Amino acid sequence: MTPIPPPEDETLRHHSFDGIQEFDKRLPNWWLMTLYGAILFWVGYWAYFQWFHVGLDGPEEVTREMTKIEAARLAAAPITDNTSLWKMSRNPVMVEAGRITFNTLCASCHTEKLTGAIGPNLVDRLWIHGGTPKEIYATLEKGILAKGMPAWVPVIGAKKSAEAVAYILSFHQEGEPIEVQAAWIPQAPK
Amino acid sequence: MSDQKITIEFNDKVVRQFLLASVIWGAVGMVVGTLVAAQLNYWQVNFNLPWLTFGRLRPLHTNAVIFAFVGNMMFAGIYYSTQRLVKARLASDFLSQLHFWGWQLIIVAAAITLPLGFSRGKEYAELIWPINIAVTLIWVVFAVNFFWTLAKRREPSLYVAIWFYIATIITVAMLYIVNHLSIPTSWLHSYPVFGGVQDALVQWWYGHNAVAFFLTTPILGVMYYFLPKAAERPVYSYRLSVIHFWSLVFVYIWAGPHHLLNSALPGWLQNLGMTFSLMLWAPSWGGMLNGLLTLRGAWDKLRTDPVLKFFAAAVTFYGMCTFEGPLLSIKSVNALGHYTDWIIGHVHGGTLGWNGFMAAGMIYWLLPRLWSRPLHSVALANLHFWLGTVGILLYVGAMWTSGITQGVMLNATTENGTVLAYPNFLDTLNTIRPMMLMRVIGGSLYLVGWFLLIYNLWKTIATARPVNGTIEVFADEGVIAHEDKITLVGTFLNPPVAFSILGVGFSCAWMFGGDILSIAGMFGLLLCVVLAYAHFESRGKKWATWYDRLLVNSAPFTILVVIAVAVGGLVQIIPTVLVNRAANVEDRRQLPYTPLELAGRDIFVSEGCYNCHSQMIRTLVPDVLRYGDYSRLGESIYDHPFQWGSKRTGPDLARVGSKYPNIWHLRHMEDPRAISVGSNMPNYPWLFTSPTDVAALPGKIAVQRQLGVPYPAWTDAQITADVNQQAKAIVEDLKTAGGVIAPDKQIVALIAYLQKLGKYETVAPSSRAAR
Repeated sequence: MTPIPPPEDETLRHHSFDGIQEFDKRLPNWWLMTLYGAILFWVGYWAYFQWFHVGLDGPEEVTREMTKIEAARLAAAPITDNTSLWKMSRNPVMVEAGRITFNTLCASCHTEKLTGAIGPNLVDRLWIHGGTPKEIYATLEKGILAKGMPAWVPVIGAKKSAEAVAYILSFHQEGEPIEVQAAWIPQAPK
Repeated sequence: MSDQKITIEFNDKVVRQFLLASVIWGAVGMVVGTLVAAQLNYWQVNFNLPWLTFGRLRPLHTNAVIFAFVGNMMFAGIYYSTQRLVKARLASDFLSQLHFWGWQLIIVAAAITLPLGFSRGKEYAELIWPINIAVTLIWVVFAVNFFWTLAKRREPSLYVAIWFYIATIITVAMLYIVNHLSIPTSWLHSYPVFGGVQDALVQWWYGHNAVAFFLTTPILGVMYYFLPKAAERPVYSYRLSVIHFWSLVFVYIWAGPHHLLNSALPGWLQNLGMTFSLMLWAPSWGGMLNGLLTLRGAWDKLRTDPVLKFFAAAVTFYGMCTFEGPLLSIKSVNALGHYTDWIIGHVHGGTLGWNGFMAAGMIYWLLPRLWSRPLHSVALANLHFWLGTVGILLYVGAMWTSGITQGVMLNATTENGTVLAYPNFLDTLNTIRPMMLMRVIGGSLYLVGWFLLIYNLWKTIATARPVNGTIEVFADEGVIAHEDKITLVGTFLNPPVAFSILGVGFSCAWMFGGDILSIAGMFGLLLCVVLAYAHFESRGKKWATWYDRLLVNSAPFTILVVIAVAVGGLVQIIPTVLVNRAANVEDRRQLPYTPLELAGRDIFVSEGCYNCHSQMIRTLVPDVLRYGDYSRLGESIYDHPFQWGSKRTGPDLARVGSKYPNIWHLRHMEDPRAISVGSNMPNYPWLFTSPTDVAALPGKIAVQRQLGVPYPAWTDAQITADVNQQAKAIVEDLKTAGGVIAPDKQIVALIAYLQKLGKYETVAPSSRAAR
């Protein structure tokens, strides 16, 4: 076997800078491939999105996805009439799930005891926006934005919302009187 | 050639000054960094003091490490190596001293104004306008001193390190000036001339290339001098230097929009930002390869020599970060990583690993050469290396884990993808707390390493005598032969430049032109590539000879650099600035702020809220599920500066207006944990006692009007009346909710601003900016 001759690029350039010399080696092929590959990718990507508009841009994409989500939500929405919600409020599994949701999201304003602070008391018989199960659910659905109550259903979904309502209702009895309250004076949470 | 020899003494005094300044400011920057990292875990260490709050100190940390630590290190390295590479003393001792003291004065001014809350509200561009002017002037001093030295050089040919220095000086000047264009409203405050998407684009063109041309190119130049010197090995490949230098400076500029992926930025700019970031991978790795492969045959020295250890690790970290950068620029990866700690990890891999270790290696190498003493302790320097390395790995590893964990949690959905799995943002924040603590530990180890360097430095130089390098040269050495000179025409009329300019021109026509122009551009480019290839194959020698000639002509070289770095910015920024702003809003237009809301906004900017809160709901399902409808271009057109943000330590605020009652904000700003259990946000007690600066409003509104915000021609009295009326309404609402506050306090203005966020009017839909 003949010995492999030393590569021709193993020679130094004649110039020296403050003692620093330079080889003039060939560019590694794999390195060149990454450069060319990235350039080709650019051309393809640009064609896909900018010329032929095969790929959707951000707003088109997110609008399409959100429409699908909306449809799925509508299809999966639990029945939220008074009878069903009262039933849920007597189901320990749903009430426990509702308790977890409530303590994570609602307790910062309504407190874990539901006795109210920034938001109103939910265990007394006074209701501002209606005290029937359907009305409570509607409050979660639309929110009371001016008072700081967010619309929760779009954020956490119908199932979790119904569970949270069931948890609130578990502190109440079907048929108990509902009194109308004009407004709630927010208090600092304790 | 005459035989007469003369001795040149280099100006190493200014090198020593910059070196010491870098070491000291480095320590300051890192101490502040450790403090702000701790503040994210323990809100108590904000001390309820305005000037020690995260929002004000984080800009101090970033500015200190970029401009004070790396800046001074870069100047030391550039001045030391340039004098030797061109065989000339720095042109002017006066300019050198002016450069040094001017820069230190700027740093001191920054260190005072930032904690006091004087801020332009744009990242790494927070300094107020009088300081901006000082920075520009001192940069000019640096440029004059540098190019004057080149003009006096006795080494005709420019070494690769000098190429990188030239690119640095030119590009930083261009970026800095454009991104700092502002109209002052007082000595301490100004509004940037760009607003909304334009400001976002200009900011990240600057922000990204500050990384490129302040933290990368000068350090690559430093690498090309100090690494072969320390390794005593020839540089691996000259032609790799040529290719990676020109591709790096050309491509880098285009990649800025990758900071704005999935945002309201027009799609074509996002696509450019992503694809050019991918194309940047190879040019960056060219630098890494030339660094690492230069160490071939010197690897055994790594065992004993801390300098080479630092250099080898630094170049490795550079390679790691320049792989991670393109990865994070892929839109779908970015959807996960952006706004999280992953980005923080990426940045610190670069700054701690690449910049910090290059600095340490350079300093350890320079100490015995600038002072007549060997390094006090090699063992301590080795210990510094290991502490630093472990520190970086802990830091970066923690941030990867943290960023990916939080990103996955924030994006996680349940119930067939219709609801968020973690609707409470704080759940995700509190999950990553251990990782945030790990970062403090990693950062502290790195800081301890830096203190070891300071101790070692002190022991080395305390009793040592400073020495200046000298060189013997022939009196008439370095005269450039007449036939080697390149004229202005010759700069352009030669195969490599002509083919490059034609190729870029045709590519632009192909990419952006209409149907016919586009097809013409495509064929033009193909023809250009074929011709260039054929020419290079047959006359490749000529290309090489021409480049050798270019290297002895510093002015033509500089002109070509200017063109290479200008193209990307011109293509991206000019259409965005020229496009009719009112038409380029998609379907919504922001409602201008009332005077009180504007005052509140200035407080928001001054407190640095943007350091933790974005105002940009991306076109991504998890963002829309969490924060509401995605942000439109038109919803921030009147925002000078834009406040889209780059990190979400807290939730996005783009649609926070009307989400909570006024009392919620009052209580929350007083004590965030009273409302949001587990929050790490600082308390803002001073907003309840400091008055809103109403007197400044007429001047501010006049400037806003000048910038195109449709304010009516109010009198001063009308403005004051408007402020009083709105403040009174808020205060009365707060009172009914049990909150007592005087209407002139800053918190009232801030609440007014926060409640305005996300308010818009609907306009006829328009297409997104010129595709």
